[in-house]
Amino acid sequence: MRNNRRLLGWLDERTGLKKIWETLFARKIPESKGSVAWFYTLGSACLFVFVVQVITGVLLAMNYVPSPDHAYDSVRFIDKQVFLGHFLRGLHKWGATFMVVVVLLHMLRVYFMGAYKYPREVTWMMGVVILLLVMAFSFTGYLLPWDQKAYWATAVGANIAGQTPVVGSHVAKILKGGEEMGVATLTRFYALHVLVLPILTALLVGIHLFLVVWHGISEPPEKTNRQIESN
Amino acid sequence: MSAWHEEYLKRYAQLKERGRSFFPYAVFKDVIVSFLLLCVLSALAYFVGAELGDLADPTDTTYNPRPEWYFMFLFQVLKLFPGRLEAVAAVVLPVLVVLFLFSLPLIDRGRERHPSRRPLLTGIALMTIIAWGFLTWKGYTSPLTNPIVEKDPLVLAGHRLYQELKCSYCHSIGGQGGLVGPELDKVVGDQTEEWLGKHFRDPQALSPGTVMPKLNLLGDEITILVAYMKSLGSGPFTEEAAKLFNENCTTCHRIGKEGGDVGPNLSAIGSVRSKSYIKSYIEDPSRANNSSSMPAYKGQLTDIQIEDVARYLASLKGNK
Ligand code: HEC
Ligand code: HEC
Ligand code: HEM
Repeated sequence: MRNNRRLLGWLDERTGLKKIWETLFARKIPESKGSVAWFYTLGSACLFVFVVQVITGVLLAMNYVPSPDHAYDSVRFIDKQVFLGHFLRGLHKWGATFMVVVVLLHMLRVYFMGAYKYPREVTWMMGVVILLLVMAFSFTGYLLPWDQKAYWATAVGANIAGQTPVVGSHVAKILKGGEEMGVATLTRFYALHVLVLPILTALLVGIHLFLVVWHGISEPPEKTNRQIESN
Repeated sequence: MSAWHEEYLKRYAQLKERGRSFFPYAVFKDVIVSFLLLCVLSALAYFVGAELGDLADPTDTTYNPRPEWYFMFLFQVLKLFPGRLEAVAAVVLPVLVVLFLFSLPLIDRGRERHPSRRPLLTGIALMTIIAWGFLTWKGYTSPLTNPIVEKDPLVLAGHRLYQELKCSYCHSIGGQGGLVGPELDKVVGDQTEEWLGKHFRDPQALSPGTVMPKLNLLGDEITILVAYMKSLGSGPFTEEAAKLFNENCTTCHRIGKEGGDVGPNLSAIGSVRSKSYIKSYIEDPSRANNSSSMPAYKGQLTDIQIEDVARYLASLKGNK
């Protein structure tokens, strides 16, 4: 017991652990009554699913080969040979669906509660960018197994992007890495999916969470605006 | 700073003062929800899993992917905006939605936060959710979502055999493959099944001197190869095809007794033209005939509709 306390004290002196704990966890938040409180769990649920995606994604990347000649076979290998590989793919695939759903639900709760209002505007804007990143994850990840569905869904997506007025054909070309879908498309999507998007997302989620703690979580909205109570 | 901003901050500070500690008050609920999510996620991963379809085949342009379910509504919306307007539905609308979301805190700057005090925004969101649900439901229940998705198992098997036997060493389909033999999607539409069967059994018998090898195929293998070859010529089409033809083409073309005579009679077009020729002609007649007086339909009809009509026409062999 005393040794523990001494160890903590030693650490705290060097890292400010106690202060960090106080700012992040022992901070006070407005009380929300009844079932409303549960809506506030959606944000941390987003974070949780994101962490699941990162872990399962890293494990998948250990056996995946991003080239049109080997991608399909490597995914098949994960599916059929790797220990718990099928389960792993299932987790990552359903995690992707959950990610979209949970992030949208979180956004809806913020929308309906008007929690994007002063002083939390930037928190919301970061959120919208994160939403776009989540969509980009979904789109780039879809191609990676290189099966029929992957290939043609991406082709359709690229065609849709290609319809953008004025810049369309350029956008489609940049997406595909050329006129045709092939090696360049796959390596490009892979780099986006496992390097660019995760780094950007982690960064933005970091800012998002910083802002949430900085402003404090909003109180549940009330029908009538109460005045400040004099004590 | 607006008048209410300062007041809000003061009141918030007060609420916070009287509030609860984030840990364990909120963290407790967070952990429960995340744990439940993990359970559902594991169950889905274990019992449903993630499927892996057939290897991607860039030559198979008839494959129609179904979108992820949360994008199904977009497919339905695309149907409401035919032809050139598709760009509006596919790109302009989503961009507007994102811009709206992004600038929402700048648009709605009042003090009111309760949903019942912001009826317009609450209404917009509820309508959007209902519309999304309705379109998703429509997407899954309407049989015409992907008319061309249905694939004959014979055709699929034939396609696999075609790949195994490396026919693409000599032949091309959809512009992919070798040039020793003819481009199959352009020519096989002209052949009868009987001719194709005989030709596979012994190419020399029908095309003396051909370099196409005799492959000693089994009867079953010939059946599926023929089915695959015929699918290149045309393929299953929907009831909508005839309707589309009536709406767009009968002013100039005749099928049977119905239609005009500005353009050629198409009652037996399938016996002289392949599906890919017809498709390309509908898309842009000037490609095959630079003095054409027929309008181009690319952009006018969707790609799926053109494919559908082309298959319908390719099936007309004049025996009706
Ligand atoms: C060594 C090259 C070669 C290979 C391999 C080959 N073919 Fe051919 N094929 C030809 C040539 C040359 C012709 C044109 C002369 C003829 O009709 O035989 C032809 C003609 C055909 C035709 C008739 C086209 C038409 O309508 O006139 C079909 C159908 C066909 N091949 C299918 C196949 C299939 C299916 C395979 C794979 C099992 C295959 N070929 C493999 C060279 C080849
Ligand atoms: C304004 C009149 C007009 C309309 C409408 C029209 N066509 Fe045509 N089409 C023609 C004429 C004229 C030709 C003969 C060659 C040419 O001028 O292109 C032709 C040729 C064709 C051919 C080529 C026949 C061959 O053997 O070369 C096809 C296939 C065809 N039309 C299909 C269609 C379809 C399908 C539609 C409806 C989506 C359609 N056309 C609408 C006037 C029309
Ligand atoms: C990976 C994605 C995301 C993560 C991990 C995340 C995380 C969080 C967390 C933990 C909170 C604390 C409050 C709560 O849980 O409700 C929060 C609040 C908030 N989030 Fe997110 N979020 C994400 C996406 C989004 C999106 C897409 C939006 C909106 C477009 C958004 C807007 C907000 C706003 C405005 C708040 C402050 C709400 C308040 O103070 O009541 N977030 N977020």
